[in-house]
Amino acid sequence: MSLAAEAFVSQMAAAEPWPENATLYQPLKEDQILLSDHASSIAVQAYLRMCSLPVQVVCRANAEYMSPSGKIPFINVGNQVVSELGPIVQFTKAKGHSLSDSLDDVQRAEMKAYMELVNNMLLTAELYIQWCDDATVAEISHPRYSSPYSWPLGKILAYQKQWEVRRKMNAIGWGGKTLEQVYEDVNQCCQALSQRLGTQPYFFNKQPTELDALVFGHLFSILTTRLTSNELAERVKSYSNLLSFCRRIEQTYFEDKSS
Amino acid sequence: MAAPDELFCWEGDWGLPSVSSDCLVVLAYAQFTGAPLKLQKICNPWRSPSGSLPALRTNQKETLSRPADIIIHLRKQKFNADYDLSAKEGADSLAFISLMEEKLVPALIYTFWIEPKNYVDVTRPWFAEHMAFPLNFFLPGRMQRQQLEKLRLLRGVDNLETGEELEKELFHDATECMNLLSQRLGSQKFFFGDSPSSLDAYVFGHLAPVLRCKLPNGKLQQHLKTLKNLTDFCSNILLLYFPRDVRDSGGPKAAPQPDDADFNDVPDKRRKQLLSALVALGAMLTYALVSGMVPILQGTLEEPPDLEPIRYQDHEEE
Repeated sequence: MSLAAEAFVSQMAAAEPWPENATLYQPLKEDQILLSDHASSIAVQAYLRMCSLPVQVVCRANAEYMSPSGKIPFINVGNQVVSELGPIVQFTKAKGHSLSDSLDDVQRAEMKAYMELVNNMLLTAELYIQWCDDATVAEISHPRYSSPYSWPLGKILAYQKQWEVRRKMNAIGWGGKTLEQVYEDVNQCCQALSQRLGTQPYFFNKQPTELDALVFGHLFSILTTRLTSNELAERVKSYSNLLSFCRRIEQTYFEDKSS
Repeated sequence: MAAPDELFCWEGDWGLPSVSSDCLVVLAYAQFTGAPLKLQKICNPWRSPSGSLPALRTNQKETLSRPADIIIHLRKQKFNADYDLSAKEGADSLAFISLMEEKLVPALIYTFWIEPKNYVDVTRPWFAEHMAFPLNFFLPGRMQRQQLEKLRLLRGVDNLETGEELEKELFHDATECMNLLSQRLGSQKFFFGDSPSSLDAYVFGHLAPVLRCKLPNGKLQQHLKTLKNLTDFCSNILLLYFPRDVRDSGGPKAAPQPDDADFNDVPDKRRKQLLSALVALGAMLTYALVSGMVPILQGTLEEPPDLEPIRYQDHEEE
């Protein structure tokens, strides 16, 4: 979101409390959503649950096109639409709900840095595996992405998305990487996260922050999404504190739905 | 000892060993670890083994292009600046490097390559002057298109129309990133204690050009100068590890003025002027000789003493 729009939304946001009918839009869960989008969506859901803000998850095939920035997920609160975790955090902050207020400056710097680490490495790796690895593209990404549309529209949209992602990979220097190197990068990122988490329950003391939500979103999706090979999930599983971290957040914030 | 690896990088200016951020990162890391590298400072990316700069040609004839890959290679050869870091510090390094790549690099690309005044007054003339003929005609433009594409892909699709809004957004992100780095650095000499690490190399590589290059639209530089600890950090590294470059330039220079540029930055210009003057003179002389505008010279060349007796004889016979 642009700065001016952000400022405007913050102003509007501060005016009203969080309504009961807030909705979160994402692509169809069973057939359409891909790993990276699923990760982002779970991250936002986790964050909102941590803030104790009620939100309904609505699945729509054209969620990507409805979103103001083209990225998923986005939330519809009152008469405002906000997409992506960063702006959503700002939005909830303007409404008076924030998880990172108790952090001091150095900790906030670290939190932002680690969030960028996850975005830079984990998200990019997920996009690479989804769209630049031919086996995964043919078996999973293309069929899922084009499932709501009839032929040939589905094929065209899927190819468009693939080319866009490949161009981005080339621009940031990931174009020449092999799958092994990408797995190695994921490993490094998980190692860094694992080191930072250590034996604590959450990344910063006893309270979860948006960093916890983001890390949970990505790790949970990696562990629960079926891909052509289990290599990615295996790499994550090798860090036991990250596994127990995911389980803890799932039990605390997601299982009360079923109970 | 095996032959040292060769590093190809952009030339330097404004008191820096190189003008490109990626090259500076690699150079700084090499200096921190004392890695012996054979430096080739060139201004022609086509002469580098990988087609882009920086590029490292190892003594096994392998070519590495990404700064991260080059640093990993140096680490494997036991030149490791991160040896003393704890696991948590290593993780923090990775996180802050990612922070810079996401928030600071787009703003740097914009400031040097996309912002109209900066590009036309500083970046393009610098590259055009330092590149050999005929690359200086089309390569800066091509580099600008590549950088624009990279920025577009990094930030999302709709940023080509809204120039001012984009600038504000990028500037906001970059200043936030610089503030965060400043907070993390605090009053320490380097980010992790008393000896520099790879994070220091990355921060130096990205901030030094902002600090040193005088641009018409210098908002980033203004903000950086308010963060005294980051400014001191960069100056400190320059003084400690690149004293020659600082001495050569005599401190931060303003963007080259038309009078100074000819004789300070590009000594070849004199030679080119002399050469073109000689060529013009030679051409004019040749034309004068061939077309007969200079009869005296022609007469002496055709040896008149031999002709005269013959003519006299002909005259007599008639």
